[in-house]
Amino acid sequence: MPSKRPPLSEKRPKKDWYKLDLSAIVYPTLQRRDFSAVYRLSVTLKAPVDPELLQRAVDIAMKRFPTYKVAIRKGLFWRYLEPNRRPGPYVRPDIKNPCMPMGFQTNNRYLVRFYYYENRISMEAHHCLGDGTGGMCVLQTVTAVYLELQGCFITKKYFVRDVNEEPSPGELEDAYMRYADAGVHPPRVHEKAYRVRGTKEPFYTLNIINGTLSSAETKQVAKKYGVTVTEYFNAVLLYALLQKQEKEWHLRLRPVKIAMPVNLRRFFPSETLRNFITMVYPGIDPRLGAYTFEEIVTQTHNFMRYYINEKFLRGDITTNAATQRNPLIRVVPLFLKDFIVSRFYAAIQDKNSSAGLTNMGLCQVPEDMKPHIERFDIYMGQPFSSRTNCAIITYEDTLTINFASSIIEADVERLFFRKLVQDGIHVKIASNRESV
Amino acid sequence: MSYCVNCGVELDASHKSCPLCNTPVINPKQLEQLIAVPPFPSEKGQVELVKRKDAALLLSVVLLSTAVTCGLLNVFVYKASLWSLSIIGACCVLWVFMIPLVIYTKLSAYASLLLDGVVVCAYLFMLTWLTKQNTWFWGIALPITILVTVLAEIMTFLLRRFRFSFLVTATVSFAEIAVLCVGIELVLNRYLHQRFFLSWSGIVLTICSIITIALITILSKKRLRNAVRRRLHF
Ligand SMILES: [Zn+2]
Repeated sequence: MPSKRPPLSEKRPKKDWYKLDLSAIVYPTLQRRDFSAVYRLSVTLKAPVDPELLQRAVDIAMKRFPTYKVAIRKGLFWRYLEPNRRPGPYVRPDIKNPCMPMGFQTNNRYLVRFYYYENRISMEAHHCLGDGTGGMCVLQTVTAVYLELQGCFITKKYFVRDVNEEPSPGELEDAYMRYADAGVHPPRVHEKAYRVRGTKEPFYTLNIINGTLSSAETKQVAKKYGVTVTEYFNAVLLYALLQKQEKEWHLRLRPVKIAMPVNLRRFFPSETLRNFITMVYPGIDPRLGAYTFEEIVTQTHNFMRYYINEKFLRGDITTNAATQRNPLIRVVPLFLKDFIVSRFYAAIQDKNSSAGLTNMGLCQVPEDMKPHIERFDIYMGQPFSSRTNCAIITYEDTLTINFASSIIEADVERLFFRKLVQDGIHVKIASNRESV
Repeated sequence: MSYCVNCGVELDASHKSCPLCNTPVINPKQLEQLIAVPPFPSEKGQVELVKRKDAALLLSVVLLSTAVTCGLLNVFVYKASLWSLSIIGACCVLWVFMIPLVIYTKLSAYASLLLDGVVVCAYLFMLTWLTKQNTWFWGIALPITILVTVLAEIMTFLLRRFRFSFLVTATVSFAEIAVLCVGIELVLNRYLHQRFFLSWSGIVLTICSIITIALITILSKKRLRNAVRRRLHF
């Protein structure tokens, strides 16, 4: 990151369109009137947010991120991103139902939204622009500019970018294509996983249940089981889902699986701000017998060790890229691709997991920004089908867990947090639900 | 600082019950709840809907050009009768039908259904003028159109009143099928035989009544309702 870049004055000719990256291709095809793949990142400051100052910060910072200041357009064969020179995006007061569907033509065609509420700044972005790591760069840079407008000085480090610098080509690259070079495309196994049943909430309602934990306390508990925090949370969620399935009426049991994105930047060096993640599916098959929690922990731990390494992930990326590289698929018109991809997603990909879980891990913040920041929250957004998504991030000692679901019942969340309490972790709960 | 007695989790100060299990928070030491800032805003966001201008324009142009072409053909080429009026009328009816779908999406469902009924009546009345005979209009067309419109309005009301579910929809549908069949037969018999009586629709009425009563029983018993939902959900 700290490489020498040409200053603003000697500009290269600006790119006037961007191809969607490998995983971004899927998200727009899932777009429905009541669904968009939108995620949310929030930062809570120690003082109330000044909307006017925030708007100025957004205006300044967005220019630094050309792949976020874009509109999405349709080509004959693929969609593409086009720089958006319309006014905006505008900051607005926060709303009760985060991650609302995002129409491609609305909001001046911007695919990002900024909100403020009390001390909190929230950013929502469509997943076709980039993943959580990319989004976090935008949010932290906006926050840094906001704090600088208030008169502080912030070091440009970790997620914070210098707004006076030109973005490096590496930030805009589709990193998948660079690493999709394995000699074999390992096949994917798809098996219908258990689906959480529940009463659907009306249109546009997203239920959030937020848990705040001490990171040190959690680490200690995970250590007691001999696993990492991510593995521990995966095991707890699997445990909750298994109990839920057990209690429900069922003809036969199904495997319980979690869709977990892995940040590929950990294994393949890239500074891209666009998508660079892949999914792994840790799971437990209750048809093999009743698992104790300890067994689930071990199983999850072994799964992660086995699958999450540079070699396996490279194979996975190559399999993904193979479809996009296939010349026969390339010449199929976009509307047919949309039709096939959305069917495939609804029929196979979506049914392949019972819930989603992501752990962004420790969120690094420049030392001089720390005094202004209380906590971070991330939300995986509206699930494609009725289930619950869980997103975790840690800042200093504050570990936040946010469940987002579009069903009324909170059984999975209850079983999840109760297990944490049983293991001796202090949990604080907050929610946007109607009845509370 | 309150804890849920059921889950053991600490709750945000603004919550009056546990979000996980709905157990109310009762803190005997803190009966007067402190006014805490809720962790989430209470204002709900509205999704901006894209106006389907292109579709509306396209459909309007297609219908208008059909109507105009037929009108011109009628005036200059096939002048035998005023046949084009029926097509122009049909175009008008179709255009009114699509108003709530593509042109003015904010129109309430009740108003648009009423408008549809009125337009269909007007169209049928115009046809009587073409057929030079209007007993069929007053005898059959008007009563049936009114009946269908009223039933559609009732259906809309009931489905909005109760939260949408498979069982409610089925109950309402069966009841309305029964009423519709009985209504149609009564009107037909009145027109053809000059008196009211029931034959085939009696069978429909019996079957639909049995199903409707069974469904209402299921709906009113929570346990039964859940059992059916579990087994029949899709
Ligand atoms: Zn509780």
